[in-house]
Amino acid sequence: MAALQLLLNGVALGAAYALVALGFVLVLNATSAVNFAQGDLVMAGGLLAVALAPLIPLPDALPGIVLLPLVLVLMAGLGLLLALAAYLPLRRRPPVSVFISTIAVGIILQNGAAILFGPEPRAAPPLIGDGTLRLGGLAVPEQSLAIVAVAALLIGAQQWLFARTQLGRRLRATAQDPEMARACGVPVTAMILVTFAIAAACAGAAGLLLANRYFVTPTAGGDLILKAYIAVTVGGWGSVPGAVVGALLIALFEVGVSSILSYPAALGALYLTLLAILVLRPQGLFGEAVRRRG
Amino acid sequence: MAERRSDAAASPPRGGGVLAGGALALLAYALLYASPYGLRVLTVAGVYALAAFGFQIVFGLGGALSLAQGAFFGVGAYVTGILGSRYGLGFEATFPLSLLAPLLLALPVGLAVLRLASHYFALATLGIAQVLHLLAVNLPDLTGGANGLAGVPGVVLFGHAVARGLPMAVLVWGLVALGGLVGWLLARGRFGRSLTALRDDPLAAGTLGLDVGRLRLAAFAASALFGGAAGALAVHTQRVVSPEVLEFPVMVSILTIAIVGGRGRMAGAMLGAVLLLHLPEWFRFLERGYLVVYGGALLLTVLVAPDGLTGLIDRAAGRLWGRRPHRLPAASAPPRFPAGGLAVEGLGKSFGGVHAVDGVSLELTPGTITGLIGPNGSGKSTVINLLSGLERPDAGHVVLAGRAVTGARADRLARAGLARSFQAAALPEGAGVLEAVAAARLAFDADARQAEAHARWALDRLGVGDLAAQSCDGLPAALRRRVELARAVVRRPAVLLLDEPAAGLTDGEKAELSTLLRGLTGEGTAILLVEHDMGFLLPLAGRVLCLDRGRVIYDGPAAGVRQDGAVAAAYLGTAVPA
Repeated sequence: MAALQLLLNGVALGAAYALVALGFVLVLNATSAVNFAQGDLVMAGGLLAVALAPLIPLPDALPGIVLLPLVLVLMAGLGLLLALAAYLPLRRRPPVSVFISTIAVGIILQNGAAILFGPEPRAAPPLIGDGTLRLGGLAVPEQSLAIVAVAALLIGAQQWLFARTQLGRRLRATAQDPEMARACGVPVTAMILVTFAIAAACAGAAGLLLANRYFVTPTAGGDLILKAYIAVTVGGWGSVPGAVVGALLIALFEVGVSSILSYPAALGALYLTLLAILVLRPQGLFGEAVRRRG
Repeated sequence: MAERRSDAAASPPRGGGVLAGGALALLAYALLYASPYGLRVLTVAGVYALAAFGFQIVFGLGGALSLAQGAFFGVGAYVTGILGSRYGLGFEATFPLSLLAPLLLALPVGLAVLRLASHYFALATLGIAQVLHLLAVNLPDLTGGANGLAGVPGVVLFGHAVARGLPMAVLVWGLVALGGLVGWLLARGRFGRSLTALRDDPLAAGTLGLDVGRLRLAAFAASALFGGAAGALAVHTQRVVSPEVLEFPVMVSILTIAIVGGRGRMAGAMLGAVLLLHLPEWFRFLERGYLVVYGGALLLTVLVAPDGLTGLIDRAAGRLWGRRPHRLPAASAPPRFPAGGLAVEGLGKSFGGVHAVDGVSLELTPGTITGLIGPNGSGKSTVINLLSGLERPDAGHVVLAGRAVTGARADRLARAGLARSFQAAALPEGAGVLEAVAAARLAFDADARQAEAHARWALDRLGVGDLAAQSCDGLPAALRRRVELARAVVRRPAVLLLDEPAAGLTDGEKAELSTLLRGLTGEGTAILLVEHDMGFLLPLAGRVLCLDRGRVIYDGPAAGVRQDGAVAAAYLGTAVPA
């Protein structure tokens, strides 16, 4: 029973991580650039939810799910800004320039948040409610179920967008081969902007989901980008389903090891596992999806 | 932008005078006007300059984005803090140990990820920092936990205490001067140039004989030493060590200092450190928010001045006073590799089920040219990539000059006497022509100067000696090809693999190329020549192999190619006569 409980916690955490990793890998595919600000965008989404919650004139029990669309839209806007300031001017430069420019944006977000909110951990409102459901002998927090449901919904919506719509086809064409896509009349720059917007919205949603049970501090981004990075590496650099699976795996690992030892031990073990994977299977557990672009 | 960069690369910058003047002004300020608080800020700036030197080596020169520089700083700080406050050890013991501990951390992590693409390096190094920070907070018995350890003594060197204020500033800046000198010499010399070559193109660097993994490991180790030294001095200045030294802001400061000052430049690290450590003083009203200013400065530099402040100063000085003429060394002939052939047996390589190369055998004899032809996609370039070590064969044996080298890495093959050219000349962007050719000798010559002398010889031999002082950027295609060829010829290899060297050349240029290749075979070089132009290839080659879908369909004298039915069928797509 305890194992089931841990599994549920792990899946809920993994669902939120999956959103973070997904946003990371979308930008990676569309631009072959590493967006180092992804973790700080999650933090920004969480704090945005914290800041917006008192403005919603609804009973305490509901605001999370009401805030979600607002956070998604505002974060998408932030994603556009990120692309305009830190990616588009550098697209003809070596990828490491974008790495550094997104680190710079991350620094600005993190310390801007510290000035506005102070260093204390904050909690966002729960999505639906704070209660605990009893399923058999299992104590299931409503928030955990809501996290899994919302993350699954968002990931599903995104899959639908990418697989079934004209916009999705254009986005995929841009990710596969920007030069070719441009030659075929796809507005590549616009597609890259949309990708950044979706990535930031994913991060914002993850921030809202995480900021209730795990709290949010201005410096939380560093830990999250490391997790997203590890998820994408484990899942195969550039693979979208791999990123989701990788995120679930590391969350289960984290929850499992934390319950036996401690969170620091879990992070240490995760890191050592990562090093072992890099040495033994640098292409990730499921193979690398992105090859060197000329 | 590229145009201006190229000027800077082709002739030495002239901003040195401006920077030296700035350094003197700073010295006068420190000695005559600085308050105790001002001296303390200067001392901390020196500490960060030292940390940034290491970052300039691993990232600025080597191109490996290490996010562990802050962690090395923190480890050095904790080693000094723990040994100094708990065990009362003196500087002469704690300082070397503060350098050693980050080094011991860097080596295993470095070994694990050095040969991987650069984004994995960033990830692995970021992980070090996060794990160490957690450890520092969660091992209170050793580290004092979240509160850290107070009461770290000042520097006590063989019984003599170095007082706060001016003496400490002098000690720190003395070490900065020493570290900066070491870093500068490393950057100018063979090591720094090798790092730059692999930063610009790791694949090409391997084929030039440079051991990418070993160089990166050495750079990473050097960065750890500088980071540890800086951390130790930081703790002696603050007299406290807490988990803050392992937090991301330290890394952020080092990164910002290096980029704003000027990537890869030791002077840039010093300028950046002095400037950025004083920024919070000027932006007092922001309090701890000064890091927002750092973020802004970093973003702005990446966007508008990628060469940083020292780059701007160089450019301005160059415009004011003109450029110093590049002093070129006299040409001298590099030593020749002893003659030796290449024997290949049953070479095979598949990509996801497609047999790109299937059972290819060939023999390159010293003093001969062997032609390799075949329609597009028949596997010619894959053969060259396999033989030069850029791809690992699935099957087959390769013997180079009597030594089995099957599956050896590119740099080992290069050092064993094999050279190749690339179809699309892989010249480093922004580098000078002489520098680009000299890069091909870095793995072989004693120092950079000798490599340049040999490079001049190769450029003269290819008839482009007058290009030596120019930049690679903006060269017309035919000249780029010659420079690329000079990078292979300068090695005077035993075996030379050429990938379509005549493509796009005029008839006159082709004739010159023929003469050059004949000259090389006259010296005993064994050449494999991939070529489409039969009129150029057939008179040169003794033996010709034709590939089709990865298999050898013709292997015989050059004279017989035109009459061969299978070859004609492969090119024209008709049925192969039985």
